[in-house]
Amino acid sequence: MEVLNELPAEVDHLLHFLSSQPVPGIGGGVISNYIFFMGIGIIILSVLMWVGVRNLKLVPEHKLSNAVEALGQFVRDDIAASMIEHGSRKHFPFLATIFFFVLINNIVGLFPGSKPGTGTMGVTVALSTTVFIYFNTVGFKNQGFFGYIKSFAPHGVPFPINLIVWFIEVFSAFLRIFTLAVRLFANMYAGHIILGIFAILTSLFAQGMIEEFSARTVIGALPSIGWLTLMTALYLLEILVAFVQAYVFTLLTAVYIGQAAEAH
Amino acid sequence: MEFIGFGLLYGLAVTAPAIAIGWVGSKATESTARQPEMAGRIFTVFILSAAFVEALALLGFVLGILVQGKL
Repeated sequence: MEVLNELPAEVDHLLHFLSSQPVPGIGGGVISNYIFFMGIGIIILSVLMWVGVRNLKLVPEHKLSNAVEALGQFVRDDIAASMIEHGSRKHFPFLATIFFFVLINNIVGLFPGSKPGTGTMGVTVALSTTVFIYFNTVGFKNQGFFGYIKSFAPHGVPFPINLIVWFIEVFSAFLRIFTLAVRLFANMYAGHIILGIFAILTSLFAQGMIEEFSARTVIGALPSIGWLTLMTALYLLEILVAFVQAYVFTLLTAVYIGQAAEAH
Repeated sequence: MEFIGFGLLYGLAVTAPAIAIGWVGSKATESTARQPEMAGRIFTVFILSAAFVEALALLGFVLGILVQGKL
């Protein structure tokens, strides 16, 4: 398989393309390519939301208003109300912002050539740090300062085990920043790498056929059809993953808020 | 040599999540067959569990790329 000899160089190219590079044209390289696409995602989200809630009627008349209201209801009922016992209406704006932000950034990354804004650790750690500060503030407000810190230990457990579990719970609460961020980042980043590798393999096998068209090169290009089918199947999986990762991020945020808002 | 390392890293990292997601998927199908009216709730829990476990497997993949210095 001498066509595969160029594979390592192409994969290096792909990984370099998917890494965080400054965009030289804007202000001399102050933002990176991922932040550029996050900006595009924010602009698209603002326009969609502004158009979607313009003339609010009891029954939405345009498809866009219907879609925005359906997604908002999904966040309000299935995520906020089912994970937070009472007072879920207070936290609904934050949860809806997180959900729509992550969803739009994931979807923007699906278009060929563009990158998801959430595909870099900078954006995802910023999101998960915001979530961490938010649910700790909710915990401090609802249970008082010492009440919240003491609530990490389980009830009805004798003394030494109490303390050990308290340390483990506090540590895992800090670990939530990391796991929330890494889950979202790894799904977006690895998905793009896999799609890129399958695209590289498709083009490598078809290169002989592009250079000169003969019966031998056409047969040599037949594996490209297999790689293309696999890439299409993975593309559909990536669309599903975009929605599922937004849903899981928001759901976990709601779970952490619900746990912090009452007795742990 | 580093390719063997990367292959081992990812292979070991993804074995247990693969078994776990298959297991939870089979349990989800079985419980939907036992009580079809809970299908929505069961599907939600299945997707949630799969996303949790998948995060660990993908972290192994990203770490493999990271230790090669190409992140």
